[in-house]
Amino acid sequence: MHVVRGIRGTLQPFWVTLRNMFRKPVTVQYPEEKQQLPERYRARLILTRDPDGAERCVACHLCSAACPVDCISMQAVEAEDGRRYAAWFRINFTRCIFCGLCTEACPTLAIQVTADFELAGRDLLKLVYEKEDLLVDHCGTNSNYNFYRQSGIGVSAPRGRNPGEAPPADVKDLMP
Amino acid sequence: MITLTADIVRSTNKKLTMPTLTIDNQTITVPEGKTILEAAEALGIVVPHFCYHKDLGAVGSCRMCAVTVHTGPMPGLKMACLIPVEEGMVVTTGDDASATFRERVGEWLMLNHPHDCPVCDEGGECQLQEMTISSGHGIRRYKGDKGTYTNQDLGPYVAQEMNRCIQCYRCARTYKDYCGGRDFGVMGSRNRVFFGRFKDGMLESDFSGNLVDVCPTGVFTDRTFRFKSRSWDLEQADSVCPHCAVGCATIPGGRLRELQRVCSGDNPQVNASFICDRGRFGSGYASHPERPRQARHKDQNISVEDALTLLESQIRTAVQQHGPEAVLLLGSDRASLETNWLLQRTAKHFGCRVPVLNAHARRHQTAQIAAFDFSDRLASLEDVRNSDLVLVFGVDPLAEAPLLALALRQMVRKQGRVLLYDPRPVELPCEFDHQAFSPAGLQELLENGGVEGRHLRDLLGQAQRPVIVAGADLLGPLGLQSLHAWASGASNAERSCQVYPVLAGANSFGTALLSLPEQDDLLTRLESGKVKALICVETDPLLEAPHGERFSAALAQVDNLVVMDYLPTPLSTNAGLFIPTCPPVEDSGTFINNEGRLRRFRQVIKPGLSLARTGAGEHPSREFTLITPGGDPLPAALVLQRLIRQEQELSELHRHLAEDQPRLKELPTITPGAPGKRVKPAVTRPQKTDKLPEQPAGTFQLVVSPARYGSDLFSRFAAKLAPRLTSTRLYLHPDDLFERGLKDGEKAVVETDFGSFRLTVASRPGMAAGCALVENNGDCPQLIPGAGLSYCHIAPGGADE
Ligand code: SF4
Ligand code: SF4
Ligand code: SF4
Ligand code: SF4
Ligand code: FES
Repeated sequence: MHVVRGIRGTLQPFWVTLRNMFRKPVTVQYPEEKQQLPERYRARLILTRDPDGAERCVACHLCSAACPVDCISMQAVEAEDGRRYAAWFRINFTRCIFCGLCTEACPTLAIQVTADFELAGRDLLKLVYEKEDLLVDHCGTNSNYNFYRQSGIGVSAPRGRNPGEAPPADVKDLMP
Repeated sequence: MITLTADIVRSTNKKLTMPTLTIDNQTITVPEGKTILEAAEALGIVVPHFCYHKDLGAVGSCRMCAVTVHTGPMPGLKMACLIPVEEGMVVTTGDDASATFRERVGEWLMLNHPHDCPVCDEGGECQLQEMTISSGHGIRRYKGDKGTYTNQDLGPYVAQEMNRCIQCYRCARTYKDYCGGRDFGVMGSRNRVFFGRFKDGMLESDFSGNLVDVCPTGVFTDRTFRFKSRSWDLEQADSVCPHCAVGCATIPGGRLRELQRVCSGDNPQVNASFICDRGRFGSGYASHPERPRQARHKDQNISVEDALTLLESQIRTAVQQHGPEAVLLLGSDRASLETNWLLQRTAKHFGCRVPVLNAHARRHQTAQIAAFDFSDRLASLEDVRNSDLVLVFGVDPLAEAPLLALALRQMVRKQGRVLLYDPRPVELPCEFDHQAFSPAGLQELLENGGVEGRHLRDLLGQAQRPVIVAGADLLGPLGLQSLHAWASGASNAERSCQVYPVLAGANSFGTALLSLPEQDDLLTRLESGKVKALICVETDPLLEAPHGERFSAALAQVDNLVVMDYLPTPLSTNAGLFIPTCPPVEDSGTFINNEGRLRRFRQVIKPGLSLARTGAGEHPSREFTLITPGGDPLPAALVLQRLIRQEQELSELHRHLAEDQPRLKELPTITPGAPGKRVKPAVTRPQKTDKLPEQPAGTFQLVVSPARYGSDLFSRFAAKLAPRLTSTRLYLHPDDLFERGLKDGEKAVVETDFGSFRLTVASRPGMAAGCALVENNGDCPQLIPGAGLSYCHIAPGGADE
């Protein structure tokens, strides 16, 4: 039995090689040829905008808290109208492992992954992206969602006028 | 089986019974009167709760703390925060009935929640987030509309977002009940209940910041910290507030090399879980834009190492050429115990004369009476809270020791009585009897007593737990010594009459304890002309001691002026050799507070220019270096150790210090965040007497009081406190005003021993007649409180040009 198994073990690899020699190759000649990646591939991150064109990110720090390699940092500030946004927002792509945990943590759907994986370079500093490098002018996925319309703090609509809200209470009213 | 020790035993002499009960199959024995919630907490069992607060008690308004009690005449679902423990009680917290109940409560508390956690500053340290998760509520079922509110503008310190409220009433209980504030409360009815002011405007209470700490949700957040950081990103550590000598526990938080906020710590013996607004919002000094961060020799920037080499040679040369008197080391009551002790060690090392540890000679003497004479009868703030009679002499608590005012309020709430004797128109957040005595009248009262004095001593004798609060600045050594006699006279075998001295600086007690009683003061030694090198460590006698002009004149004879400091004081700008040091938040060390309690603090942030100030344009710098910009400052204790080339770990240092000072035996065992232990009573007693000067005719007694904000140097360099600063006025009794032909709002010139000032006069009916009251702040830096009794002339100052 050992002999039979030995012979089969010797010949089979040759047969596999032979069989595949005439197949169409699955690899491509990167970088001359580009691979078409699946739509939901996880690579370079972007900051998207809400359907009204404003920055979605509210600088809540949840992505930076979720990030296992601590490569996101930011500073939140308040705009005139009470909107909270990021004064600066930095992702260090030399450290990012494209795990996508930040996108899962994001309550506003601001941070999203793209399929652009081509992030190699000799100058590491070029891979430290600032907000202006990250911010895009589209919604990415979920083109309907606007955090400020869902939460009742009176930024996109006056207080008490967001969907599902009653008008502000008159606290001096004594009616039962 | 665990036994919870009684912490309130002192207030009753009755023997406490200790019931034993079972919670979730664990048995515990607790003092009678504790609730199921507290017993569960002691066992480490978390019962979700909102309205219960350690220092506010329970009101049973949130219904979150449901547990099932299986024994007694009425078993069933109960609110754990309201039910006192009973012998043999059996309680479960995780059974179906109570768990479902809590989940429903979590659900209804979230009915109107605006779901805005991502933009809420409370996020990450929000009790509502935690309790909702722990109650098990997850998916919203209610389909109706959410109720909303319009917010108020409550001023620069506290931000309000009313939609997040869960009606636990903690805010109103803190602001009105605990702190005695009058301009905030609860309004409205049914589901429109609103917590705020009647009108928009800055919260008036000096304790308004506590709303931020007590509100379990994001309704009240720190406006000065708005959107700056998430709690999980902050570097935080147990620290001690340096703004006054109460020594409250604080938890400062910093990020990106900037001290961003201060929260209250918890010290049951001192501040419980509250702090005042001066301590909370006065943290700007650490990141002050003009803070000196670079060692300097003449006008040249040098490295700290070079500065130390230079300093060493300067000291050695001076001692060799002119003897041990030639080098004068000056400590400070805002520097740590370790720093002050290391100064003594440095003096020994170089063979110079003992250092002076406080530039303000009279404050130092007074602090020594407190540290030595009173050392076996010092009251803690907790003793004040539990007292039934407090006599306050020469203290304006809200200006000199804000948390003392809160402690007094707590004792009044428990039917205690406060009698206050002070020339100033003192305000307190509670009922009290104020007798406006002039400083000289006060000394007279304490020394001879008369009818009033006899009456007070009788009251002291009859009280169960009497405490005397003694203001060091106003009474001086003489007054404190008289009070010592009062306290010993009122003590008996059963109980002693305790004293709570109110000192000036965070470490006044420590500096007093370290130094020998019979010692020349700064000015005497400087004016002898023998001093060739003056080394000031974290002090500026021009701003912190009276007679700045004598100091400046004496400085002319000093060859080398060396300053180590972290504040941009005039002296640090003029120093020949300057070495930057670190404020308490960037250092680890110890202060000794009013009550002789060793209070350890731990380094919170490292020194360095904040990122916001080093960054160019829109975002932080894109240059990466290993050197922290502005990171040169070292803790003064470390600078001194490097100077004498003996670097030691803090624990090692503490061991040496405790060996050197037997009263500090406990020092090595104190940890940051712990209540801290008291220093041992003194064996020797200093004797000091200062004679009161005679009053020249036509003069007023000058009363210099610290301003509530901007008197201590820390708050003078804290930009956040600006909205609370008041402009300096000359306060007079209306009768005096009338007699001098002055009117409210007119200018007058006050001629004092410390210079003459042209100030706007204001009439204050509540103050003592024959006194002129001026507050010390940035406007009148020459007028330093605690300089002793002195007289001033007042003349009309004419109209404004
Ligand atoms: S993808 Fe992962 S590693 Fe990259 S930034 Fe997001 S959380 Fe961090
Ligand atoms: S989690 Fe989303 S909203 Fe929050 S800071 Fe990150 S990108 Fe911005
Ligand atoms: S504002 Fe805060 S502390 Fe006050 S009742 Fe509402 S949740 Fe409680
Ligand atoms: S009472 Fe004094 S020590 Fe306490 S927080 Fe206020 S200023 Fe700081
Ligand atoms: S904590 Fe018991 S009812 Fe609120």
